[in-house]
Amino acid sequence: MKNQKIKISTKNLNVFYGAKQALFDVNLELEEKKVTALIGPSGCGKSTYIRCLNRMNDVIDICKVEGSIKIDGQEINKKDVDVNLLREKVGMVFQKPNPFPKSIYDNIAYGPRIHGLADNKDDLDRIVESSLKKAALWDEVKDRLNQPGTGLSGGQQQRLCIARTISINPEVILMDEPCSALDPIATAKIEELIDELKKTYTIVIVTHSMSQAARVSQNTGFFHLGKILEFNLTEKIFKNPDNKLTQDYITGRFG
Amino acid sequence: MSEHIVSSYEGQLKTLHSTVLKMGALCESQFSNSIIALVKKDEELIDKIIGKDERIDELEKKVDDQVVNLITLRQPMAIDLRETVSAMRIAAELERIGDLAKNIVKRVKYIKVDLNNEDFSLIKTASELVQNNLKKTLDSYSKKDEQLALSVWNSDKEIDVIINKLLEDFLSNLKKTLDSYSKKDEQLALSVWNSDKEIDVIINKLLEDFLSNMKKEKKNIESLTHLLFVAKNIERIGDHSTNICEYVYFLIKGEEIKGNRPKG
Repeated sequence: MKNQKIKISTKNLNVFYGAKQALFDVNLELEEKKVTALIGPSGCGKSTYIRCLNRMNDVIDICKVEGSIKIDGQEINKKDVDVNLLREKVGMVFQKPNPFPKSIYDNIAYGPRIHGLADNKDDLDRIVESSLKKAALWDEVKDRLNQPGTGLSGGQQQRLCIARTISINPEVILMDEPCSALDPIATAKIEELIDELKKTYTIVIVTHSMSQAARVSQNTGFFHLGKILEFNLTEKIFKNPDNKLTQDYITGRFG
Repeated sequence: MSEHIVSSYEGQLKTLHSTVLKMGALCESQFSNSIIALVKKDEELIDKIIGKDERIDELEKKVDDQVVNLITLRQPMAIDLRETVSAMRIAAELERIGDLAKNIVKRVKYIKVDLNNEDFSLIKTASELVQNNLKKTLDSYSKKDEQLALSVWNSDKEIDVIINKLLEDFLSNLKKTLDSYSKKDEQLALSVWNSDKEIDVIINKLLEDFLSNMKKEKKNIESLTHLLFVAKNIERIGDHSTNICEYVYFLIKGEEIKGNRPKG
């Protein structure tokens, strides 16, 4: 674990929603091109944590984020950081698929267009195709690219959102319970996709499914009441965790 | 250990544990009865032992079913997973112990020598050691006692040094081993695992005695050959008991016992 390159590191990260503190001195180092799963009971701070990594908490007025967040050694938790550039680098996929009310093609093309990643229509076509292929959706939608993205099934919509995230060449993909609204087959496809995507991207996934965390991730962090109680190899966490609370949580003894 | 939120899950794990313990208790009595039947040449008891072996097989099947159900319906994690997997492996070891006990009594009719004779006292000694061992192993599985474990572990080291006290110390040692199974006491399991080599020493001595006896008394060859297998079975039961200790240790600690198994 020590020899791996660290993509994201947070030091003494404290987050407040008004007077209520949501995260307490979270120190984590997330490895590059690995999948890190964050688990823990509802309200433990895992979503708050990943929302810090692309400054999504900025949009919440009462939210205050203190401490250091470094990506590739660069501090991102300071005023002069260009949040748009940051979010280009750190993409996000949400719990419910949220395609734009546009065609499948435009869902993918939107990001590259506004970020100026394509010089012409051919370029854009190429980006759309490769993004959909990477998201394992191309074969299912290639003949109906002009139809609305919202007409796809839930699982397809979620892969469309992943394709949309990939289209602007991010380095990190944050996933906040990406499968919780999906059926088992769609879930399996997303998990297969995560395995594939980790070759290129650093992935952080929040999940309430213990078995999903065990299946897709290499490292797992257990959050409880805003603190990180255990961070370890996934295999270690699910076979023989060091912390008693971790064990109680993953075995279904408290929630 | 706090309980599961889903009480039926908690119940399933407890049922599994108690099925294994039930199987263990039956194997323990099958083995000790097999030695009584052997020494007394008690035909009624022999039939009873042979008849009961089926019950052990049924229990093993039951453990397997319960394990498969747990894995399918609960996807156990961490300690629960180890509990589940260990149960299946322990049941398999117990089933072998049951078979070996049955095999011992099947040989009784070919054994014409008087086992109350001083020449054969080591058979009794070895079987007592192994019986004690098995009992403690089963104890270690059901309870947890860190301090007792530690004391057993320490006393075991002295055994190796003080050869004169070998036998006495064995006895106390083996007793503690079986305790470790029913007490879920991994340190106790560890000490039994180590003490298995003492049983091996006795069995080796037995073999030597038998061979020299055979050379003197040719008419005893058939009896002694069967008795050799009996001794070998007892030794095997000791080994299976030691295997169970390894699973108990794994179940509690989540890791294998370090080092090679002690050999006599």
